[in-house]
Amino acid sequence: MGLLTKCSCVVSCLFSGWAFSFISIANCSVDPSELSVDVAVKRPVSPARGPGFLHSLSLSSAFPDDLEVNEYCMKMLHIYGERYVTYANCLVSYARPVKVCQNCYSDFISLKEIYTNISSDQLGPGNVSCHDSLMRSDRLMLLYTLFNKLDEIWISAECTQCLTGDQEALSNETVYFMASLNQSLSCFQQHQSNHSELCKACKASYKRLNELYGRMEKNQTLCIDLEDAMNVTRRLWSINYNCSMPREETVPVIAVSSFMLFLPIIFYLSSFLHSEQKKRKLIHPKRAKSSSSLMNIQDKFS
Amino acid sequence: MANIAKKVSWSGRGEDRGERTPLLNGAEDGKYNRKLSGGGMFHIGRLSTVDLEEEITPEEEIVRSRLKEIPHNEKLLSLKFESLDYDNSENQLFLEEERRMSHMGFRCLEIRRWVICGLIGFFTGLIACVIDIAVEVLAGYKYFLVKQNIEKFTEHGGLSISLILWAVLNSAFVMVGAIAVAFIEPIAGGSGIPQIKCYLNGVKIPRVVRLKTLVVKVFGVICSVAGGLAVGKEGPMIHSGAVVAAGVSQGRSTSLKKDFKMFEYFRRDTEKRDFVSAGAAAGVSAAFGAPVGGVLFSLEEGASFWNQMLTWRIFFASMVSSFTLNFFLSIYNKKPGELSSPGLINFGRFDSDTVKYTLFEIPLFIIIGALGGLLGALFNLLNNWLTIFRIRYVHRPCLQVMEAMLVAAVTATVSFAMIYFSNDCQPLGQDHSEEYPLQLFCADGEYNAMATTFFNTPERSVRSLFHNPPGTYNPVTLGVFTLAYFLLAVWTYGLAVSAGVFIPSLLIGAAWGRLFGILLSVIAPNQSMWADPGKYALMGAAAQLGGIVRMTLSLTVILVEATGNVTYGFPIMLVLMTAKIVGDYFVEGLYDLHIKLQSVPFLHWEAPATSHWLTAREVMSSAVTCFNRVEKVGTIVDVLSNTSTNHNGFPVVTHTTGHDEPGKICGLILRSQLIVLLKHKVFVERASSRLIQRKLQLKDFRDAYPRFPPIQSIHVSQDERECMMDLTEFMNPTPYTVPQETSLPRVFKLFRALGLRHLVVVDNENRVMGLVTRKDLARYHMGKDGLEELHLAQM
Repeated sequence: MGLLTKCSCVVSCLFSGWAFSFISIANCSVDPSELSVDVAVKRPVSPARGPGFLHSLSLSSAFPDDLEVNEYCMKMLHIYGERYVTYANCLVSYARPVKVCQNCYSDFISLKEIYTNISSDQLGPGNVSCHDSLMRSDRLMLLYTLFNKLDEIWISAECTQCLTGDQEALSNETVYFMASLNQSLSCFQQHQSNHSELCKACKASYKRLNELYGRMEKNQTLCIDLEDAMNVTRRLWSINYNCSMPREETVPVIAVSSFMLFLPIIFYLSSFLHSEQKKRKLIHPKRAKSSSSLMNIQDKFS
Repeated sequence: MANIAKKVSWSGRGEDRGERTPLLNGAEDGKYNRKLSGGGMFHIGRLSTVDLEEEITPEEEIVRSRLKEIPHNEKLLSLKFESLDYDNSENQLFLEEERRMSHMGFRCLEIRRWVICGLIGFFTGLIACVIDIAVEVLAGYKYFLVKQNIEKFTEHGGLSISLILWAVLNSAFVMVGAIAVAFIEPIAGGSGIPQIKCYLNGVKIPRVVRLKTLVVKVFGVICSVAGGLAVGKEGPMIHSGAVVAAGVSQGRSTSLKKDFKMFEYFRRDTEKRDFVSAGAAAGVSAAFGAPVGGVLFSLEEGASFWNQMLTWRIFFASMVSSFTLNFFLSIYNKKPGELSSPGLINFGRFDSDTVKYTLFEIPLFIIIGALGGLLGALFNLLNNWLTIFRIRYVHRPCLQVMEAMLVAAVTATVSFAMIYFSNDCQPLGQDHSEEYPLQLFCADGEYNAMATTFFNTPERSVRSLFHNPPGTYNPVTLGVFTLAYFLLAVWTYGLAVSAGVFIPSLLIGAAWGRLFGILLSVIAPNQSMWADPGKYALMGAAAQLGGIVRMTLSLTVILVEATGNVTYGFPIMLVLMTAKIVGDYFVEGLYDLHIKLQSVPFLHWEAPATSHWLTAREVMSSAVTCFNRVEKVGTIVDVLSNTSTNHNGFPVVTHTTGHDEPGKICGLILRSQLIVLLKHKVFVERASSRLIQRKLQLKDFRDAYPRFPPIQSIHVSQDERECMMDLTEFMNPTPYTVPQETSLPRVFKLFRALGLRHLVVVDNENRVMGLVTRKDLARYHMGKDGLEELHLAQM
């Protein structure tokens, strides 16, 4: 299904490009045999596009290079490019440790804004819609693909869960979590020299942090930033400072286990020794007198 | 020449020792036995038979007096099992009823059959749904409790208390289930597949298709799965489906004493059998989400009676059951109308890019199959010994309950110890595929990998073994897990709890299959792309299950359907084939072993090889208790109440003068019919008064079905004993007969194909010489050194 729509889209894009030149030259007297391949998918031409259509047509004879892109759209394209670069730059610079949600959300929002602007069918000044000219004129559809990738990253990072409802700022939970994270980290910093002391001293704050994280996980208010920060902290705590639970009660566990394993042996031995064995009474079925049949067989084979 | 000598020798043995002192073949004195039947045989063959008799007689006397009672072993036939009457009795009543029935009546019957099949599917699906939800809720609650406890004690110390808590919880669940099974309905124990197999084969297993059995079964399964035993809930579904079918098709329940006055026409063994096979298919379908597999299962296990219309109806029942389960589960999962979880076990789907397999992998699959066959044979062998021990020594209900509880406690202990000492920590998955991740001593944010396999219901463990990405399991974890679970599963099957063996086998196989896959990718690191551990886990699971239960066609289709993947059809088939061939070389399938241990007179596909020289004369029982056409009531009552000869079918003969002279056969009458006749006092002397009463109809026989009252409950006064009874109208006037010279395989074929219960052996003047029943045929089987004979025993 996805393939089909893509195909039809590509075909229609091709068609629109083709059609302009055709119409300009042949003025609708198109040879059907030539078009038959491309016209497989018909595309409704909206009447609103009429004037822009004509405009580009008139331009096309003068400037064959930028066939149908007007000035306004070029400007939009420029802005898109700038915002794209800013956002991508932000993403890369906060890639490790991951802090993209906290630092790049405003960039993303502005990028999204301009993308929405371009992709909407609304008419800009001069009654121009840049949607078709910028986004759907070729099979590459660069603007669409570029934005799509970044949007995917944003969605998989689940950044919206760390932001307030209107996506304008970081949510309160996030800020609170960051604060308690910093508290723990600073505690780690303080006792860096002695690990065993660190484990004791920072246990309370670390535990609080862990619980907070667990709560937020349940509420689905986590984004990649918090997850990554927590992962790093946990690794510090468990591996670098080696504060995870020690395995110290081996003896009681072994004792209880071996007691449990010992029980069936007693059970089977005692039932073997004390329980009376089940006996079966044999029955002698009625059979024909053996002598006659025996003789018969002997007759047969002798 | 040698062949003939062997024959003579065998018959000599059969007459002299096999028959008159059958105990020589018993298991008590293995050496003695082998010496006689093995080495002695050819020797005897060369001697004359007269010599032989003289040689043996003194020994024989001793043995006879010593071995009146023998311990239970697998070479016995129990008297408690009877045949089902699959052969329709075409007596006059039947013909009358058929004449009365209009064309429309027959149409209605056909429609009713379809309605019943739909109902069977519906109720089976519903039961599957109830089991699924109950297990999920109970197990979820248990794991939540234990997990919380473990987390608490990991921090503060005292993990041995968590261990005890887990063991006690497990034991408590299992105790409740085991009490229900051991004290209320022992037949509900185990997976129920052997019992259904016997039923479809034509053996009447007492109480196997009662409502009480169903209730205990469902309850028991929920308890044993929630109790964390190494069991699955799939096998019992097949039994449940069969009970549902038997109940629905009769339109009444004798346990509840409720008669809906529906479907009275189907109150016969013949009709019931067809519905039971539909029920079994519906059960498989609900258990695995495999409707076609269900139909093929019925075909494979009970296929001696089969026709096309029946197949189509059974398929309908399967589909309805699968759909019903689907529908109700979708409501439970709060996505009503989404019909995408077709079975109790959901193996999940294999991604399209991992399902590839290449030509050079086929030898690897065959190796896996052989491995599965070996391990399956080992499983069966160990379980066989254990079951013999259980039958001999652990036969009291309270002991059985204790045993089940102990197994539950030990299962919990072993699981806990494995988890406790495992150092295999894995990071938590992004998609939270682990339902109950246990951290224990792992670093924060990681979980104990051993716990995913042990601290979970077995179904989920199977799924994670199939689908978790490579690198999720450590080879050592898998190896230790396989070993531990193998032993636990061997120990668990055969306990007095209702539980199936499908899932544990799949789990064991998936574990070692995955291990196999991991080792492959280690050996060939540059080609690790094809060695997807999930694929090998699936093959291992198929091999292990095939090695244990030895099903072929139906298992292939079930696995293909359950994984929703036709690509693996060929490899799965290869694996199952190899597993069966290798396994059969060592020991029979698990279900066949259990059927044998229960001393059921089961008829296999074919008569034992090299038995053509045995004729009906040697096989039959004689002398036969016959009735005259018009018989004295007193004689009938005496014969019926004789407990030592618990006969069920009586040839009816023309009046004979002499006592020793056998009469000419003119019909066959069954004990159940006689009892109904006695109950209604259909005596010749009362014929005049009977004219006023209504005439006895086939309906009266059906109303008494299937639990005919015992003869003791029927009161016959002294006067009535002198009355006469005319059997002409009620007997089957055309019973099957064979001449005395008919060979055993020929008789066997008649029994197997027609579902006979009694076969009269006549001489050339149609005089009754003997009677062949199922037990007379089932006692012959191929042993290690030729044809052996099983003994009849009372139990």
